[in-house]
Parts: sequence; C-alpha cells; structure tokens
Amino acid sequence: MTGTIIKKEIASNLLSYKFFIVILLTTLLLATSFFVLAKDFKGRKADYELVRPKPGEAMAVLPPNPLSIFAKGLDEAMTRSFEIGAYGMGVRAGQKSGNAIFAFFPTPDFVYIVKVVLSLVAMLFGFDQISRERENGVLRLVLSNSVSRAKVLAGKWLGNYLSLAVPFTLVTLIGFALMNLDPQISFGAAGTMRFLLLLAVALLYVALFLSLGLLISALTKKAASSLVVLLLIWAVAVFVLPNIGTLVARQLVDVPSVKALSEKRQQTWTREILLAIVESRGKGDAAWDASRKEHFGKIDVEFDQLENDYRVKFDRLVRLTKNINRVSPAASFVYAETELAGTGIAEEGRLKEGVVRYKDAVLKESDQGKKEHTAFSYKYRSVGQVMVQGGLFDVAWLAVFTIVLFAGAYAAFVRYDVR
Amino acid sequence: MLSALIKKEIRANLVSFRFVAVAAMVLIVVPVAILVLANDAVKKVDEFSMRRTETENYLKSYAHFNRLQNVVQPAQPPLPAYALVRGISSDVNIEEFDDDPLPVMFPLLDLTFVVAILLSLAALIFSYDAVCGEKEDGTLKLMLANGLPRAKILLGKVIGGTVTLLVPFVASLILGLFVILLNPRLAWSGSDWAALGVLLAGAALYVFFFFVLGVFISARHQSSSASIMTSLCAWVVFVLVLPNLSPYMASLVAPAPSRIKVGREVFRLTDLERDDLGRKLQADRLRELVKKYPVLTERVSDTEAKARADRDPAYKEAMQARVREVQAAWDEANRIQNGKANALWDDLRLKEEAQTRLAKAISMISPAADFTYAATDLTSTGLMNQKHFDDLSTLWEQSYEDYVRARTAALQKQDSTVDWWNSPVDVSDMPRFQYREEAVDARIAGALPPLGILAALALLAFGAAYFSFVKYDVR
Repeated sequence: MTGTIIKKEIASNLLSYKFFIVILLTTLLLATSFFVLAKDFKGRKADYELVRPKPGEAMAVLPPNPLSIFAKGLDEAMTRSFEIGAYGMGVRAGQKSGNAIFAFFPTPDFVYIVKVVLSLVAMLFGFDQISRERENGVLRLVLSNSVSRAKVLAGKWLGNYLSLAVPFTLVTLIGFALMNLDPQISFGAAGTMRFLLLLAVALLYVALFLSLGLLISALTKKAASSLVVLLLIWAVAVFVLPNIGTLVARQLVDVPSVKALSEKRQQTWTREILLAIVESRGKGDAAWDASRKEHFGKIDVEFDQLENDYRVKFDRLVRLTKNINRVSPAASFVYAETELAGTGIAEEGRLKEGVVRYKDAVLKESDQGKKEHTAFSYKYRSVGQVMVQGGLFDVAWLAVFTIVLFAGAYAAFVRYDVR
Repeated sequence: MLSALIKKEIRANLVSFRFVAVAAMVLIVVPVAILVLANDAVKKVDEFSMRRTETENYLKSYAHFNRLQNVVQPAQPPLPAYALVRGISSDVNIEEFDDDPLPVMFPLLDLTFVVAILLSLAALIFSYDAVCGEKEDGTLKLMLANGLPRAKILLGKVIGGTVTLLVPFVASLILGLFVILLNPRLAWSGSDWAALGVLLAGAALYVFFFFVLGVFISARHQSSSASIMTSLCAWVVFVLVLPNLSPYMASLVAPAPSRIKVGREVFRLTDLERDDLGRKLQADRLRELVKKYPVLTERVSDTEAKARADRDPAYKEAMQARVREVQAAWDEANRIQNGKANALWDDLRLKEEAQTRLAKAISMISPAADFTYAATDLTSTGLMNQKHFDDLSTLWEQSYEDYVRARTAALQKQDSTVDWWNSPVDVSDMPRFQYREEAVDARIAGALPPLGILAALALLAFGAAYFSFVKYDVR
C-alpha cells in the first residue's frame, strides 16, 4: 500500500507546476553556482602557483581546497600566505579583499543553496500534503480505504522526498562529474568520498525540512495558513537564529577584537626593535646582534602569548556561538558541511596553530644559522577526526531533529480531523 | 472610492491569520535584534576607547619615527548607527594573521537584513493571492460588477497591503528605538535620525516593490497555489541569489591582477631591489664626496667621530655633508622604487575599482541589493564610507608626513649626531587621526541612486501588474 501511495505522490508531483518550477530553479542555481565557484577555484589555484614557495623558502601557504567549490567556508582565509622573515610574519590575502561587494552578500556555494533554497523547496513539497488534501477531499477518500495513517504518512514522505531528492542528487552528481573532466580540478579518491558525504548531509537536511513541512501541514486546517507558518519558521531558522547567535555569544564572552590584537602586535614589535637599537647603540656589531636576539626573542614570546590568550578566548566564543546557533538546524548543517569539506572554523584554527609551530621551527633553524628552511606541511583532519570533533554531533543533531519532526507529524496526523 | 478600497484591504488584512503571524514575528525579531546590536555597539565603543588609550600610552614611551606609522594607523571608530545597521563594518581582518572567521560564516543580523529578507518575504505572503485568490473566492467578480476601474482596485490593493505590512514593522522599530533612546551611551544625533527617516522611506519603497511584484505574479496565474510557487522562486532569485552571484560574475568579465602577485612584486621592488639600488647610489655619491673631503676615508668609531666633530669644524662639515649625501642617495632610491611600486598598485586599484563598479551595477538589478546599498550608505557602513574613510586617511597621512618631516628637521637641527629615526621622541603634538562621519546630506545624496533604481523597479512592476490585471479573466 505504501508503494502505491509513493507512486501516486511521485506521479502527481511530476505533473504539477510546482515540481516544474522548483526543479528548474534548483537546477539553474546549482549549475550557476558550480560554474562560478569552479572558476573562482581555478583563479585562486593560479594565484597559488605564483606564490608557491620555492625550496628552502620560509613560507606557509596552502593550495586552495577543491571542495571549497561546494563549501567555500573559510578557504579564502586558509589560503593566505604566511611569510616568515627576520622581522616577523607577513600575511597576504587573495583577491576577495579587492572587491567590496563580496563582503555584502554570502558566497552562493552549494552549501548556501542547500541551506537556503533547498530547505525552502523541501518545505514547499511538504506544506500542503495534509491540509490541501483535506481541502479537496482526497484525504477522506484515501483514508476510507483500509490503510493505516502511518502508511499514508510514510508514503507521502517518501514519495515527496524521492521526487525532490532524485533530481537534486542527479544534478549535483552531474556537476561533480563535469568538474572531474576539468584537468585543473582534481578531487582524488578522498575528495570524492568527502563530496559524497557533503551530499549525504545535504540530503539529510532536506529530509528535515520536508518533515517540518508535513508536521505543520498536519497541524493546520488550511494549506494557506500552513504556508504562512512554515515560511516564518523557515525564515527564523535559516536567517535569524544563526546570524543573531554570534552577536549574543559575543556579549557573553569577552573577546578582544582582531583589530585590537593586531594593534597590540604592532606595538610590541616596534617597541622591542626600538629597545634593541637603543640599548646597543654605539657598542658595535656584536652588541647589536646580542640585543637583537634578546628583543626578537621577547617579541616571539609575547606574540605567542597574545595568540594563545586570544585562542583560548576565541575558542570559548566559537563553542558558545556554535551551541547557541545549533538551535537552528541551518547552523548545524553549515558547521557539518564546512568541517567535512575542510573549510570550517575548527580547521582554520588548526591551520593557524600549524603556522605558529612552523614559525617557531623556522626561527630555530635561523638560530642554527640555516639559510634553507624546511617546507611547511599541513595535513587536513581525516573524516574520522572531523566526525569525532563535532561533525558527528552536528549530523546526529540534524537526524534527531528530523526524527522528532517526523514523529510529531505522525502524532498530529493520527489525530487529524480529515473532514 | 480609492480610500474605501484601501480601507477594505487594510481591514481584510488586519483580521487575517497571516497578519497576526507576520506581526508577531516582526515584533519579536526587530526589538531583539536592536537590543543585541545596541549592546554590542556599546561594547565596541568601550573597546575602541581602550585601544586609543593603549596607543597613547605606547606613544608616551616608545614613539619613534622609523616605525611610528605602524602604530598610528587610522582606525574606524564605532558609529551610533551600529545599533541598527552593520553593513560591511565587521572586522574580518583577513589581511593580517589575526582574522575573525565568524562573520564570514554567519553574516550579522541587522535592520537591513530584516527588511531585505523578512519583510520582502512577508510582502509576498500578503500579495501572492491578491488577484487569483479573490478570483477563487469569487469576490473579484462581485467587485468588478460595481463598475470600478481596475486601476483603482489595483492601487487600493497595493497601498492597503503595503500600509498593513509597514504598521507592525514601524511599531517594532519604535519598540527597538526605545533601547537606543534609553541608552545614554548611544548618543544619536539629529543627523542619525534624519538618516533613519530616509532609510524607513527606502524600506517602504522596498516593501511596496515586493507587494506589487506579488500582485503582478498573482495576476499572471489562475490559481493561488501556482502563484505562490512563482512568487517564491522570483523572491529567491531577486533576494538570495542575484546579489550574491554579482561579484563572481563581475570578476569573470572584468578580472583584476592577482593581489598576491602584485604584493610580492611590490615587496621585491621596495625592499630587496631598493636596498641594492640605495647601496649603489650611496657608494657612488660617497665616492664623489671623498674627493672633496678626503678626511672621510678614515675609519673611526661613532664616539670618536662625535668627539672629533666637536673639536674640528671642518670635520663636522664633512660629516654633515656625508649624512646629507647618504640621505639623498636613499631618498632617491626610495623615490625610484616607490614610483615603480605605486604604478603597480595604481593599476591594481583601477582594475579592482572597475570590477567593484561592475559587480555593483549587476547586483543593482536586485531590489534587495539596492536597498542594502541605500541603507548602508545612509548609516556610513557601506561602500561610500569606505571611500570616505580612505580619503580621510590619505589626508591624515599627508599631515602626518608633513609633521614627521618638520619634526625630524627641527630635531636634526638641535642635535645632528643623534639617530632621530630610532630614538624615542615626544609626539604629543602629532596630528591624530580623527574620523568624522560624512555629513547627512551627502549620505542621503549617496543613497538616492539605489533608491531611484528601486523606485524605477517598483514602477515597472506596477505597470506590469496593471497590464496583467486589466487583461485578467475574472471568471
């Protein structure tokens, strides 16, 4: 029986205007996003080839992550170049800072499109499943057959999920396959696996909003009101909650602004250089060398101290922000996707720790009089590590949301007055 | 008759479920957002004054001309408008080691965001069934049987709808503004209120556009369930996708040279190559100078040289000439190399500006982007302020350089043997960077072009809605 209902749902969806326009929109958006971000990736890769450190050069820079085509996240920050010289660290950012329009609107990557558009679309598939069928009397007819409401609901859920998920998966897989044909983009086996995980989490997220749609539909008598309620819940969950969470967290945790930190670094740096010069003035080269060594050592210690203090506070801020934002599944989704892609907040923090360690190693080599430095290397966390360090929690959280919403839809539907 | 139609629309809306739901959401979200933003703004003010104090403390003991500029870089102080609008003011700081990734992951929620996303969505929720819904109910037939011109019905619908939507918004804003009024730390001046007034007018225009768009789409469909699908798809494209895609499209059409490449090239020109050139020029000049002052060939330590200069005026003159020549050599090296570097930067800047302009032009098809630009320019949190800030910084840098030149010259005169570049000096009379917000009339003038485009889009939509409605089959 469930099979029949699934078939009926899919068949009626395929013929509907809703299905046509929504799938058209999703396909167009995904295709544009893939095209634009693949171009962006290739541009950044060409940039990387230009600055790529020569053997012996003390510079830490990562090549752009191909998965950033799907989840841009912090890849822009992670692919900055960190040059370690005698006078400290020089940091250079890429293209984005040149065009301020980038700062106004979030990146339209796969994660953004799924987070915003696919969730809306999933709700549009669910919002009228029960209330509209009551209105046009179909529900009564269906239930007059001896079929359990659980089966009807499961059939509806599956039928609608398949009519949305199948075209979405196909478009995404085709986009991925086309990218693989481009010699400048290579994902490798590990990258492909991560991509499939990104897709799987996206499908889970879509399931969540479909369940939400069914739940609200089962709680309202009229399709028009279920739509209004759903759109408002969606707007709050996707836009309001995650974006206000950061501000709330900042009020609870005292974290210095990054500008303040940068100023502090400049003050320390210029102060110690001045002291080194003043203290060794007129005493010859040996005194200068000794004094420089002493004060540069101090700069290093103070910088590391600043960085550590900041890290501790910032980590607390991020933890709190994450936990506040997780009220909204959209935030959990973004965290899970970006961390899986290797462009998340945790990965960026880890990279910066790696850069600090590399800087220490370079300074040590300089002390030993080495001119040629070992190359910087960074290994992204494995999927297993990402999962253990929060990824699994976010995915499980999404799954729990989905199950609870579906159970709620079931409970509401069982009591639903179909007249 | 028009007023009767407007009243009918407003009354019908006020008792509807969607009005209650939208009003409840707006009345909660807006005051909460303002409360949170206002608290954050106060925190920013505190932190900024602390940063100032720390810089001043540093200057008291360690100010020295060689590296002074690193410490006294111009900084944007928090503005009173931060309690409502943030624009692109958040410190991502990606150009330095200490960056803040959170605003990149989740853009801040502010008033622009609420209007651009929530209110436009609400406008469509109100208008998607304006025509086809009434047809379905049969009321449209009855209304048109009264010999009412369709233009009046349409006008009544959009005015009534926009007004009903703006009422809860303005009410929620008033609630939120109490937070600002009651907080003495957020000193709002008359110009801030004037800017807010224009911003509100812009918001009304924006809501009007989406209302008309909804009516237009409604008049193109026979059933309201199809109309809502089209409306939402149009909304997604206009509000959520077009603006976000615009900078990427612009960078495809008008590429700029790689920042990283230019940065490295400039470093090579002004550091390594400058040093080589400076050393060469210095050697050349000293070779010439030694011919005039043969005493300079003797190698003596700094203290000895100083003692000898005190005794022997001829030697002092030679030493001073040497200092002058060395300075001249390095000045020339700096001039040549900086010239080369500036040419590179200028080229990059011009191309980036062209790209930004193009991105902005593309995005302005989207009313959401138009409203965002108008709102951010009005509150000094957008592109206009970025330029204004850069202009102020350039002015300050000139006065700073003049100051350093005059001050070092005076100090040199006082005692020419001291290395004043690397000695602590008193800089209490140094010009400090003072940020002054652009005048409110200039801000309003800056907001007019995007608002004008918004008005044109609204008119266009109204025309389209009118023609569709006139031809609409009401049966």
